[in-house]
Amino acid sequence: MTPQLTTQPGIADSAPLGETHLTGEQFGELMARSAEAAGPELALAEAHLQVCERCAAELASLREAICLFREASSTYADEELRRRPRWILPERRSFSRSLVPAYWVAAAAMFMTALFPLQVLHRHSAQPAPAGVSSVASSDADRDAQSDEALLEDVNREISASVPTSMQALADPSDDETAVNSETSVATSNQRKD
Amino acid sequence: MGHEGVQMFPSTSLTLGNEARATPLDDLENAVALYQPRVFRFLLATLRDRDAAETLTQETFLRAWSARASFREDCSLATWLIRIALNLARDHTRTGRFRFWKRVSTSAVDVAEVAASVPTHDRSAEAQLIAQQQVAGIWATVANLSARQRSIFLLRFLEEMEIPEIATVTGLPLGTVKSHLYRALAVIRAQHDSPSSAPPRNSAPRSATMRNAATKEIQ
Repeated sequence: MTPQLTTQPGIADSAPLGETHLTGEQFGELMARSAEAAGPELALAEAHLQVCERCAAELASLREAICLFREASSTYADEELRRRPRWILPERRSFSRSLVPAYWVAAAAMFMTALFPLQVLHRHSAQPAPAGVSSVASSDADRDAQSDEALLEDVNREISASVPTSMQALADPSDDETAVNSETSVATSNQRKD
Repeated sequence: MGHEGVQMFPSTSLTLGNEARATPLDDLENAVALYQPRVFRFLLATLRDRDAAETLTQETFLRAWSARASFREDCSLATWLIRIALNLARDHTRTGRFRFWKRVSTSAVDVAEVAASVPTHDRSAEAQLIAQQQVAGIWATVANLSARQRSIFLLRFLEEMEIPEIATVTGLPLGTVKSHLYRALAVIRAQHDSPSSAPPRNSAPRSATMRNAATKEIQ
């Protein structure tokens, strides 16, 4: 008998007196042990398993149950995942080497296309106008200037006059035209009275 | 928490040029294809909610992608992803929202469905039934372990991680990991030894009694 192995109350009920079984810790060590883990305690526990059918059977049964648990959980999770919609991952935006020259050509073409209207505009503004067109344009401008000047002169004359044109009739009563007009108006009024 | 239609993932290649060092996550499509089933399985067994598991799986990859520059490759990518998933699951279960949704959720995992997923392996009908009962018993018992014991148990026996790897994922010392694992195993073993008193479907097992018995046994 190994001193590390102790009697377990749960198992010893039906076991012969004096028989020892694995402790909970040893059981855990055996269950959870990794492939490379080995030590004197573990070796002792394994030696015990060789002679104790009860512990060996219990360990094998628990291992099998946990293995079933793993299989069932994995199968269930895999099926559940298969039922779910797949994630959409963005495509990688890397250009292959063969596409790089094409990319540069396209970029240059786009640059030139954007530059073309600017060049046309620049050329249009810098171009000298034809001779005929310029003479017509200049004569129009001269005519406008002359009419503007004439208008301004009229305005100046109006302002500088002592009596405005509309009040001219009242300014000089001895004026012939005005007198004739007044006589005519008096005669018209006498005829109405008759 | 419904998941209808396709799942969009944010654009990933825009900032790629800014990273000086290449990481395994640069090829996100490949990383997702390799590790998504594993991360999802772990989260499903931890949270027991299909929608929550998928949401957190996406979140895991999103976080990993965002922090890929900090991945120093001192552990495997799988270990790093599971660590992120574990932290997310921990944060998620702490919130009151999780408790609310757990109560009303229609996407909660049914123990019977999991048990029915046991591969037959040419077993007889009787043996298959026994196998399903065993799986249902373990599934129900694991639900009643403490959060830490459950995580460590799942990492060891579902994800088949080695103890040092689990210590890396959980950030706990080796001794603490072993201690939690042995306690979890003691509870599972107690349930397994007395299958007649296995908990009914979708109900809590006599966890307190079993845990006390297991703790006494260890002490």
